[in-house]
Amino acid sequence: MTVFIARRLLLLPLVGIGVTILIFGLLQLLSPVQRASLYVTDPRQLLAVDQVIRTHGLDKPLYIQYVQWLWNVVRGDLGWSETAKMTVARAIRTFFPATLELTLYAFLPIVVLGIWLGTISAVHRDRIIDHFSRLFAIGGQSMPTFVWGLLLLMVFYGAWRLFPPGRLSLDASLYVLSPQFRAYTHLLTVDALLNRQFWIFLDALRHLVLPVVTLSLVSAATLVRVTRSSMLETLRQDYVRTARAKGLEEPRVINKHARKNAMIPVVTLSTLLFVGLLNGVLITETIFGYPGIGRWGGNAALQLDAAAVAGFALLNAGLLVIGNLTADVLYAWIDPRIRLG
Amino acid sequence: MIKTRWFMLPVLVVVLALLAPTGIATGQAVKNPDTYVAVSFGDWDTFDYAWAYDTSSFEVIFNVYEPLIFFDGGRMDRFAPMLATAVPSVQNGLLSPDGKTYTFPIRQGVKFHDGSPLTAEDAAYSLQRFLLTDRDGGPSSLLSEWILGITSTRDDKGNLALKFGDLQRAVQVKGNNVVVTLKEPFGGFLSIMAQWSYVVSKKWAIKNGDWPGTAATMAKYNNPKKESTAFFEKANGTGPFKLETWDRAGRQVILVRNDNYWRAPTRLKRVVIRSVEEVATRILMLKAGDADSIALTRRELPQIEGDPNIKIIDDIPTGTSTNPAWFFTFDIDCRGNPDCGSGRLDGNGIPPNFFSDVNVRRGFAYSFDFNTFLQDGYRGKATLAKGMIPLGMFGYNPKQEYFTFDRARATAAFREAFGGQVWERGFKLTVLYNAGNVVRELGSRILKDTIESLNPKFKVDIRGVTWSTYLAAMDASRLPVFWIGWLADYPDPHNFAFHFFHSDGTFPHSQKFKNAEVDALVSIAAREPDVKKRQQLYFQINQKYFELVPSVATVNAIGFRNQRTWVHGWYYNPIYPGTYWYTVFKG
Repeated sequence: MTVFIARRLLLLPLVGIGVTILIFGLLQLLSPVQRASLYVTDPRQLLAVDQVIRTHGLDKPLYIQYVQWLWNVVRGDLGWSETAKMTVARAIRTFFPATLELTLYAFLPIVVLGIWLGTISAVHRDRIIDHFSRLFAIGGQSMPTFVWGLLLLMVFYGAWRLFPPGRLSLDASLYVLSPQFRAYTHLLTVDALLNRQFWIFLDALRHLVLPVVTLSLVSAATLVRVTRSSMLETLRQDYVRTARAKGLEEPRVINKHARKNAMIPVVTLSTLLFVGLLNGVLITETIFGYPGIGRWGGNAALQLDAAAVAGFALLNAGLLVIGNLTADVLYAWIDPRIRLG
Repeated sequence: MIKTRWFMLPVLVVVLALLAPTGIATGQAVKNPDTYVAVSFGDWDTFDYAWAYDTSSFEVIFNVYEPLIFFDGGRMDRFAPMLATAVPSVQNGLLSPDGKTYTFPIRQGVKFHDGSPLTAEDAAYSLQRFLLTDRDGGPSSLLSEWILGITSTRDDKGNLALKFGDLQRAVQVKGNNVVVTLKEPFGGFLSIMAQWSYVVSKKWAIKNGDWPGTAATMAKYNNPKKESTAFFEKANGTGPFKLETWDRAGRQVILVRNDNYWRAPTRLKRVVIRSVEEVATRILMLKAGDADSIALTRRELPQIEGDPNIKIIDDIPTGTSTNPAWFFTFDIDCRGNPDCGSGRLDGNGIPPNFFSDVNVRRGFAYSFDFNTFLQDGYRGKATLAKGMIPLGMFGYNPKQEYFTFDRARATAAFREAFGGQVWERGFKLTVLYNAGNVVRELGSRILKDTIESLNPKFKVDIRGVTWSTYLAAMDASRLPVFWIGWLADYPDPHNFAFHFFHSDGTFPHSQKFKNAEVDALVSIAAREPDVKKRQQLYFQINQKYFELVPSVATVNAIGFRNQRTWVHGWYYNPIYPGTYWYTVFKG
């Protein structure tokens, strides 16, 4: 297992270089003036854009430009984001924790609900629970996120005033912005507990409920379908029949023998879902006025904010690479044939 | 089993706690009684009083800083002393008989938010800094035109032409007075001062790296980059509210009460201005009482009508604004600019000078279905604009020719454009609006649909851009066609003629529109003392505006405001850039 992980880790720099070449190549579609924003950390520098082009060799051969750009990326200089009115690095530090917090809270219900419903749906094929589960999956997948979001918002906030939009209510927001509150992790629920402010923890949690439910409905639906079909296929395998023939109890057959082997496509999808959530969920964040990285990235793309889009792409690529590595390790753990092969 | 119960207990506590503080329990009791929450969709450009020139930023500025004199309540034609103790007039001896010298006695006992006392030196410095800043397309010309006799402080090469001596002579400190001497008399000068004579602390400005008030440093602080001034994100005024936070991550601005205010402190302890892009969310926030007023267009008004907790103040006359209009940029910065497409007249883009041909502009103007826009965008609560001067303002001509939707004329104009090349090759460009403004988005769609239907080779994209980025792109002449509106800085047609038509005005400067004949006409009209002649001159200017089509004013809308019924004390002054919270309270 260790050798397998080490081998995968050694491949990471190569993948990283490949990703940066790809992003750099796409950036070449922009003019030198647009690319200049990638090299400044203060908008005043853009006043002398020709000088920026000369200084950073944007009129030089591509390989020189690539090395220069890569060096900046390594140092964390990702340029200036006009959309966020701050450097791209600072914008990522500012907006990413909100999305990370949302993802962490959304991922557990997505996985638990997706795997559980998918499994019982397959086990009880064509019975009521299966119909319900398929209805849930179809509903979750076929209704657009903004419809779910607005619907939930109208009912649980508009009508019942239970779960408000945004990240914090007014009082909590004022307290968090005050010097009394120390941000350790920028994850509000965690920081609230570390600051021993349980009311802020609850307030942040209340604001997370609707975005989490929206994301769970949409993402868990996909997972239900994949888990169900994977389980159905596994349950038809000879070794499952053998296990049953040996007289093993049904829960043991399902949980020990079938589900573990059905998990490979589920792990892939879960990893992709996790990374997808971390990349920001533009629609959910916009509807709920949630200040995450997806809303910033989406805005940046609309404003043609080249530096922000490049930074966002790099972040996404990095997360995807880490996500894939995690998935590979999980495969190997679930199925020894992979690490031995 | 016991273990499971213990595990479930904290979960149960959290769930109950989450459900406990519901709106149902609180009913319609005043939420956050000492905090006013305004929810909009735009953002803020800067809080520098000499740089900002948009209503979003100025709504904050005019609650934090104070001018020497101010409008008297809802009146635009009467003034009240503010940081000056009297409004200059010939009768009180503070205005010279020739109408050129104004004396403003500075109020004693006023303190800035940092505790330092207000002096005449601060007031003079603030005016001089306002004149010196003169950023491209900014507000400085409002005062410099009359105080210095110039509409730009730079020569044709962009070098500073303003002399320190001129600045010192024009704005002087005499004892406890600030004396302002105009180059020539102007009847509307006090109107401008009522909105544009904000006073800042000189010491604070210098300490924070702004202009030290010396001749040698003038060039450095002329036409500065927005983010480089000391006032960009910080403020130290004398106003009823202090700027506490500009939370860019949370997209909100927080103002707190100035407890050491020289008048009675405001009843509100805090004002929070939040930016929420999604209109449905804003409406729900208003209905839930989490917002006290929201930004809304008339299209969405039915969604809050009939709510007993929301008050709609309708039929507000808006004779001080021309909103919206769309503008053409005559020399577009197409470098790396996808809104120009290929940057050539090849069917996939437009050249930088595309709108220099009046036939292109006319083609666009005749392509717009004004009536559909009026009905769908304003539910009929507007009248078609007849030029740049709004209905209700002096200089408005009810008989003025104006554009109507006319496919035949639009086609004819496009066929003429660029010697027939536009019709033959087609074009591709982007029409831009500020993101979140659904009426301007609708207008862009109407324009797109009609123009594309004229010729399959015509392609129009539309794109919404966040407010501050939009303003920056407009200033940089990067928007081929853009929507924006104008709220008067002072109630005089010159303010419209200048900023819609004069080459040093805000929009023409961004559009790169320059016409010497128009510049002269605008200047003459402003200085004409005879009322009848002056009116005729504005009729003439409006006719010229119709012929040259540098921009197209669409409608004069009837305004409205929404607020929770627990909000009191708000009053309307057509010239205000937003809510003046000093008088507002909840209860």
